[in-house]
Order: sequence, then C-alpha cells, then structure tokens
Amino acid sequence: MEQDLRRYRVRHVTGYRYQDEVEACYNRALLRPRDTPEQRLLRFEVASVPEPELISDHLDYFGNHSLYLETRVPATELVVRAESVVEVNRQLPDLASLNRWTLAEAVEAAHEVTELELVDFSLPSPLVAITEPVRQFAAQVLRPELGLGQALMALNAAIAKGFSYTKGATSVRTTLSELLALRQGVCQDFAHLAVGCLRSVGLPARYVSGYLETSPPPGQPKLQGADATHAWVGVWTPAGWVDLDPTNDTFVDSAYIVTAWGRDFSDVSPLRGVVFSEAEESTLSVQVDVERLPL
Amino acid sequence: MGQSPDFVTPHLQSWTPGGAAGRRFRHGGWIADAFPHLRRGSTQVRNAVVGIVMPMSATVPELSSPIIDAYRAHPARGCFDELVTDTGVRAQAEALSETIESMGRPGLLAAREAVRNQVAADGISHGAGGADGARNWVVDPLPLPLAAAEWSTLETGLAQRARLLDAVLTDLYSDRTLLRRKLLPPAAILAHPGFARSVDGTLDTNRPNLMLTATDLGRDASGNWLAISDRTQTPTGAAWAMANRRVVSKVLASLHRRSDLARLRGFFLSLTGTLLDAAPDAAETPRVVLLSPGTGSRSAFDHGFLATLLGFPLAEADDLVVSQGRVWLRAGDGLAPVDVILRRVDDALADPLEFRSDSEIGVPGLIEATRRRQVTVANPVGVAVLDNPALIAYLPRLCTELLGEELQLASAQTWWCGERSGRQQVLTNLERLVIKPVARQAGIPVRYGWLLSEAERAELVSQIQAEPWAWCGQEPIELSTAPVVTSAGLEPRRFVLRSFGVSTSDGYRFLPGGLGRVAGSIDSDTVSRVADALAKDVWVPAAAQLGSAELARPRLSVARQAAVPPRVARTLMRIGRLAERAESTARLLKVADDLAEDFGSHAGSSGAAALSLVLRAVSGITGCERDIGESNIGYLARITLDEATPGGVHHSVSRLIAEAQEVRDLLSVDIWSIFNRLERTLATEPADSVGLQQLLADVLESLLAYAGVMAQSMVRDSSWAFLDAGCRVERAAHTVKLLRYTLVTEPRSVPVHGPWAELAAEAVLRAGESIITHRRRLAAGTGPGTGWESVLDLLVHDQANPRSVAYQLVSLVQDLRLIDDAKLAAQAEAIAEVVAKFVDADQTASAAHLEQLAASLAGLTERVSARHFTRQATRRAAETTWAVD
Repeated sequence: MEQDLRRYRVRHVTGYRYQDEVEACYNRALLRPRDTPEQRLLRFEVASVPEPELISDHLDYFGNHSLYLETRVPATELVVRAESVVEVNRQLPDLASLNRWTLAEAVEAAHEVTELELVDFSLPSPLVAITEPVRQFAAQVLRPELGLGQALMALNAAIAKGFSYTKGATSVRTTLSELLALRQGVCQDFAHLAVGCLRSVGLPARYVSGYLETSPPPGQPKLQGADATHAWVGVWTPAGWVDLDPTNDTFVDSAYIVTAWGRDFSDVSPLRGVVFSEAEESTLSVQVDVERLPL
Repeated sequence: MGQSPDFVTPHLQSWTPGGAAGRRFRHGGWIADAFPHLRRGSTQVRNAVVGIVMPMSATVPELSSPIIDAYRAHPARGCFDELVTDTGVRAQAEALSETIESMGRPGLLAAREAVRNQVAADGISHGAGGADGARNWVVDPLPLPLAAAEWSTLETGLAQRARLLDAVLTDLYSDRTLLRRKLLPPAAILAHPGFARSVDGTLDTNRPNLMLTATDLGRDASGNWLAISDRTQTPTGAAWAMANRRVVSKVLASLHRRSDLARLRGFFLSLTGTLLDAAPDAAETPRVVLLSPGTGSRSAFDHGFLATLLGFPLAEADDLVVSQGRVWLRAGDGLAPVDVILRRVDDALADPLEFRSDSEIGVPGLIEATRRRQVTVANPVGVAVLDNPALIAYLPRLCTELLGEELQLASAQTWWCGERSGRQQVLTNLERLVIKPVARQAGIPVRYGWLLSEAERAELVSQIQAEPWAWCGQEPIELSTAPVVTSAGLEPRRFVLRSFGVSTSDGYRFLPGGLGRVAGSIDSDTVSRVADALAKDVWVPAAAQLGSAELARPRLSVARQAAVPPRVARTLMRIGRLAERAESTARLLKVADDLAEDFGSHAGSSGAAALSLVLRAVSGITGCERDIGESNIGYLARITLDEATPGGVHHSVSRLIAEAQEVRDLLSVDIWSIFNRLERTLATEPADSVGLQQLLADVLESLLAYAGVMAQSMVRDSSWAFLDAGCRVERAAHTVKLLRYTLVTEPRSVPVHGPWAELAAEAVLRAGESIITHRRRLAAGTGPGTGWESVLDLLVHDQANPRSVAYQLVSLVQDLRLIDDAKLAAQAEAIAEVVAKFVDADQTASAAHLEQLAASLAGLTERVSARHFTRQATRRAAETTWAVD
C-alpha cells in the first residue's frame, strides 16, 4: 500500500481578552489530538497564561483527550497554547471499492452492527436535529440505489456546490433548517449538515474536529479552512469509517489531523469555559499554524 | 365492584353537585376518572343515569356514621377508596372514622381552619418567594392511614426498585453492559437528554450511587400499588411530609396520641448518616451542604426545612467555589472544604462548564471535582436518565438479570415507542393511553390520547414516527380516592403517594408513608401538579417500621466551626438591621401616636410643640413625608401599615421575613409563628389612635418575642455576630438620627429648660426605651439636672444602657472580634472613643458631632459589607464560536 507519511507541528493559540478583570476561569479543552490507526501523537504540550491552578486530562466518553484548566489568578487576558507533533499516514478512501454496496445495502449492514457507538452516531444530537428539510435535502442527494462511494461523493458535491463559504453568517445556534434556507456557512455548519443527512438515511455519522495542512502542495488550489481549526465528517461503511470533507468537496487524507470526534460540535468544542467577570464584552482570537516537519 | 347503597342520606343533597342530588350511581358502571377521558365516560354515565331520585324520607340504617355513609355514597368515590369499602370502613381507618363522626361537620371544618392557621404559623409554603408568590401549603386535616402489612410490602418493593435503579445507574455510567447486551435498548438511554456523557466514568462502582430515591405511586381500581414515575434527580418533598405530620399531629392531637405511628425522624437521621458516610475517604470530619437553587425555587421551603432537619447548611452557587479540583465553601476571607453536596439543582444546571453554560445556580468544575473523587454529590449528576418512563417497560427483565429476583412492585403498564412492538401498541391504542415524552422538558407536555382532537392525534402520531425513541405510552390508572374536608362535607379526591428512600449501610430505608397528595378539586383526575394539590399526612403504624433502632442511629460527628459564606453573612446582617429598624420605628411611632392622642388638638401647648418635634423626627428618620391634609393619625398609621412605604414598619417587617426565608436553616422554627402574628397584626386596620397604640404595642411585643427567640436559640458564633452587628449598627444609627432631629434641629426649637422641654425629652427617652431609668434616677436624685442632659447621658454615653450608642459600639466590637476581623473591631473602638468624648458643648458642636458620628457608623457598615459580603463576579460562558473560523 502506498505510503503518505507526514509529520506536523500544530500550534493552536486561543486568547480571550476582557474589558474588565476576570476573577476566575474554568475551561474544558479538546486540543490534544487523539491517536488513531492512521495518526500518532508524538508530543503534546499545553500551557496557559495566567498559570492555571490545575490542568488535568482524562479520556472522555468518545475516547477524546479532555483537558480541564482551572485558573484563579485575576487577569484581563487568558491565553491557552497547545502544541502538538503528529504523524499522519492516511490514504484517500477507495471510492470505487465502496461502490460494491449500494447506499441501501450499506444502511442495511449498519442496522446489523451492534456496536453501541453506532447508536450514538445514528441518533439526532443537540446540534443535529433531523428535521423535514434535512430529510428532503438528504433524500435528493443520498439516493438508495447509488453506489456508496458515489453517494458520498454526491453528498460532498451537493454541499460544496450548493453552499457558499461565508464567515459570520452562522453561529453555534444556527439550526440545520436555517442553514438549508441560508445556503451559506462555515466548515462546522457543513459538517453538521452532512452528519444530519447521513443519519437521516440511516448511516451512522460522526463530527470530527481537527486541522488541515496550511501550505497547499504545488499546483493545487489553496483549501478553505486552512490556518484554522477545521471540521469534517466520519461515516460508517461496511468497510470501516470513511472521512469526508464537504467544505472542500474532498475526502480526508494525510493533510488532515484529527483532534477529537463526537456527535456534533457540542461534544468536541476545542475550548469552552466559564469566566467570573463583570466584563460585558470580550474578544476572542484564535491562531492556528500547521507546519510540516521533516520526517 | 361493589354496589353503592340503594339509598341516599339527606346529607347527600347538600354536596352533590347540581341537579344530581339524590341520584344513585351504580358503582359498577362508574368508571372513576383517574384521567380525564374517563370523565368523559362519566358524563355518559351521568347522562344515562341508572339511579332513581329517592324520596327524602328514605330510611337511614346507620345513623351512627352519617358522614362516613354520605362519603361512601358519594358518586365521585373511586373504585378503591382509602377510607371506606363498599360496606364498611378500612380496618386501619377505624379510629379515624370514629374521630370524623365524633367531630361532626363543624368539627371537621374547625380542624381544617386549625390546619390552615398552623400552616401559616409554621410558615410552610409552596412556590417561589417574593412578588410572584409563595403561597401557603394546603394540607387536609384528615390523615391517610395505611395498614402495617401493606406498608411493609410496599416498602420491600420500593427497596428492591431502588436497588435495581442503583444498579442500572452505575452500569450506565461505567460499563454499559445493559446496553451492550441489549437488556435495555441502547437508544432508550442514548437518546435521552438526561444521559450525561460528561459524567461517564465518575461514579464509584463499589458503593451505591443512588443515595436518594423518590417514586410517585398510585393505587389501581383493585387497590394494588403501582409505580407511576421516579423522581431521582430532585427527590423533593420529604421535608414537606414532615411539616404535614407536625401540623396534623397538633390539630388531631388526640387521635395522633392514640395511634402508635412510625416516626418520620429516623429517615432524616439516616439521611444525615448516609451523607456523612458518603464523603470521599480523606475527609475525617466531613462537611456537607445542601445546594439549593435559592429562594426563587418553588421548593424553597422543602430545601430549607430539609437542611434544618438534617443539620447541614443551605448553600447557593455563589457560596461555593471549585479550586484545585475540589469544592469549597466561601467563608469570610477563607475557604472551607466541602466533602458532600446534597443537590437540589437539576442535572443540566449543576455545572455550567459541562452542561448549560447559562446556568447561574450551578458550580463550574463540579463534575471535575467528582471525577477527582474530591466531593460526592447526592444524587450524582446524570441521575436524570433514570427519570425516564421508557425504563419502566424493561424493569421486570432488568430485575431478573441484575438482581436475580422477580420485580415485586409493579408499574403502570408502559411501552417505549423506540421498539417496534411498543410503538405499534401505542399507536394502535393512542386514544386511551397517556403519551409521555421520555424526558420532562419545557414545551413538551404529557398528552392524554382521549383528549386529543383528530388533528392533534395525527400530529402526535407523526411526531412519534419521526422520533419514536422520544416517546412512551402508559396505561392510565384509575387512582384511588381519599376523603378531603370541604364545606360541602367529605369529598373523594384522587390520591397519589410520593415515597422517599435513602441508601444506608443496611440497604434502602424509607420515610414511613411519604408525601400524600390529593387532587385540588373533585373533578380533577390527576394529581400531577403540586401547585393544585392538597397534601395528606400518611400514617403508618409503628409496627410496620423496619428496624427502627438502626434507623435512629445517631452518628457522632465532630462539631466544627460554622463557616458563614458571604451571602449568608449579608443576609444575617440585613435581618439584624431590619428587625431593629422595625422595632425602633414602631417605638417612635408609638410615642408620636401617644402625643398626638393627648395633644394633637391643643395647638400652642407644650405638648403640641413636643408632638411636632417628634413628628419631625418621624419624617426625618423614615424618610416618609406627611401628605398635605393628612391627619396625624392617618400619617402615623400609613407609616406603620403601608407595606409599600420604605422606612415604614410593615415594609421593614416584610423584608425581614423575606430575608429570614433565605437562611431558614439557621433560624429557630419558633420565629415563623411570630412572623405570622406580625403579618396578621399589620394586616389589620386600627379604628383610631387608641387602636393604633394597641397595634404598635402588639408589633413591639412580637418583635421582642422575635429578639428573645433569636437571643436564646443562637450559638454565639460568627452567624450570631453578623446578626447582632446588624442590630447594633441600626440601633446606633437610629439613635443618632433621633438626636439629630430632636436635640439639634435647626433652628434649635427646644429650650433646654421649661415644661415642654421636659415633655420633649421624655418623648425621646420613651422612643429610646430609657424613660424608666431616667425617672428612677430623677427620683433618686442621681441623674442629670435636665431631661436633655439625661437624653445625652442615657442614649449616648451610658455603656450600661443597652439603648445607648456607646453600648452598641461595645457590642459591635465584640461581634467584629467574633467574626475575626480585628481591623474593623479596632475601627469600632475608635468610634467608641469619640463617643466617650462627646459633650453637648453647644448646639453647633453637637450637630457636627452627631453628623460625624453618623458618617463614621455608615462608613463602618460599608466596610463590613466590602470585607465580608463580596459576591463572586458574574459568570459568563466563553466558547470558541465558529464564526471566527
């Protein structure tokens, strides 16, 4: 099998700046890339300013590394820096071989698998409500007679071509029904939509958060979503999990670094927190650098 | 199904609604309405009346029990009634029914009234405090007796159910074997909003995690107990049950004495022990707090009284903080570790870091602290997954698998729509089933199939088909009835029982009986809404109590310094200030009213001059001006009685009571009857000046009783110190104001000598409760020469007079030392020294002195607030929104 081994250093810096002093701050961070068969974490460091009273790490319900940060030093700015070195060796899925199954057959096969995990990824979740518009959209694209590979390509294409990538048009509160009316959004929205479509036809699907390599290989267009956290979709197939990126109308290869997966964004938000402060406003800044390292 | 008697007693006429008087309903045909659809059925029965209107002269065979007989014949009586059978009275209710007959209708109504008064006196309420209305708890005077054997069986069944639910809970948050083996359909749990994934792996698999249980039970038409739903997330109501018992046992004292009942106290002792034992290993002297959403909660009374019964402090989110992965109680400048939290905050609101980030009543980091085994939360967050009707459908199977036992306590037949067979059953029988969402959520009501229109039913069907796992169908239960005292005689009402269990080292133990509730009206078929229901005291004979000796096991716990969180300290100081404000204002008003009565109509007299001086003090101190054309009495009455007048007596009293409710767990239960009396006094309208005198005397008497209870019931610790400090600063400030408005008012209208000067000085001394000392000293020739000198001496300097400013400062120094604040204690001492040097050299100097004194006192009060009452900053959610990507 062809190898596409790459090594990356990912720097992910999140800063919150408040107008007024913050007395205390509690954060949950899903910033540590998980190990997968295609990906190995070589090094990980997390630091935050001001110095936290406590940082701890546990594996969450989905097997992600979940960090807890507790900061009780008064400050007006909180910065969390995570740095990972990851090796990835992931091939594009063999779509032709996925066409061995029709979509309908794949759905049937999914019903017969008894893994508990698949139930979690088959049901609606807090940010993925399977509403009638979602069903309709899915039914047009994910036709049961299509080959599974074809169907997934069709889904990627339908979202990438049917929606424009627009920052600021949506937020975490935008529902899939609203997104379908709006026809624009960012990678999180498109990932949620793809997850909703796949679940609506009976294929288990999960939301994957991570990073995308910044510098495009020569001759290829620069991908949207670079220099930022990225989100895409994992779908269960009879051949195993296949990851697709509807934002860029592509499938996932060694350019992608997986951080965590869950039912939707609410399970894997990179950094969420509660601060104690009288500040009415805050500014958030996120900087992500994905740098290829020599092997 | 028995037959009702072929006659009606004359009593029937008075309570049978409308034209149905005297009609006879055949019981077999009467489908009593546990649920509204059966009411529709009942209408049909009414329409197709099979009874005959009996002549009023029909013979009455059992004259000895007319009330019970009338009740037995009541058309709304259920197939199973808790008091009567078709021919007699239930064995366990014989003493009760004799009591009912001997009381007669007037006696029953008197008992109902007595219960109302007792509830008011004990301050038992339901609903949120404040404007939108806590209201008094409504209790029916008649207890509901259960047979000993029956309770024992029920208790055994409940204990098994608790063990089973505990095993399910622990499995769901650890291995999930039940889901992997499909003993429980995975989607029934994984699609339930109560399944808290962030809690996964935090439970201790070596001990019971379900520390408290509550189950709503009802009886079906044949009298069998059925579980209707479980309330493990916030098992509210045990303290209300205790409150019911206290009230009913007082009102029906004789019957209560004769009945040898299982005591309720043991349950609370067990719970105290269980919570102490639940502390993480390291804790030698565990600190337990009851985390409450605050007085804004509808169950605030239950939380406060429960804390009192358990002996643990109430805490709110602002009182707690997570630091270094454990929970602490904010106490003064420091933090005191918390080992166990008895939680009355919903799962979704318990930790804003993990769940709803907009929760202001949860503690961020709480789940992490439990994961680190630094704190035990009872019940653990995540338990809401058990309050899921879908589980009911699988309990028999789970019981066999997990416990190797047959399920003893049956549930109302329930189907989960997530499974094909269940869904078919529900959809086929939609019009006769209760349709429940698997999770109680705002906006998704329980629906009764028979009440739905065609369109609504179609809508529900499509909802079920779209998300079948989110729905259950449940067979309606025709609930039993129990008698309620009404002005129209005894009325049958639908009855449900909420049971309360606690996990102990000897297994689950239950509050004997539980919280009984009956429907708020005769045609109500459900008892679901606490707001509308009446409470019933459920009586279980002592013979039925399991191992009462163990139950009452007192646990030795080392007394520890009570930590006073800022919120509590602030509330206590406010209580101290408000009680003192009410008292000193009432005293001043009483003096003013007295003068107005004597001299109001003698303009130009020395008395009238004294009156106008005192009235000026009244308006200056209360900040309430006299309206144009308002009479003296009208003005004084308004300040006394108008609740909306800030600075007035009623206003202060209302705020005092509201503040006291915040710290109910710290206060003697005796103060509630005093508050009740105060409220009643202030709700009356005095006819004249004499009436106002009497009213103010009553108010003062109550406030003195309050002060006495507080002084005699509180340990002199920092809680007391804050309360007392409030009283001291208020009294000192009031006295200084009184002097400023009378002694040094510009232009100085009070001559130092002469008859009216003496009159005015005496009035001030009376308002300062120092007139007797003044007179005694005058008589003995040991006092100062003039009244005004006496005023200064007694109300400012005399450290032996508990009304003097100097005395307040000495006490304040002691309070501040008790709080461990040497800095402020020193500042209070410095003010005391200034007071000692104060002499009435001349008018200007006095005015300046008093002004400075007032400012010093206000400054000191502010510094107490700044140093001890700081709240945590506002919590805000911070999330990496994806708009920036």
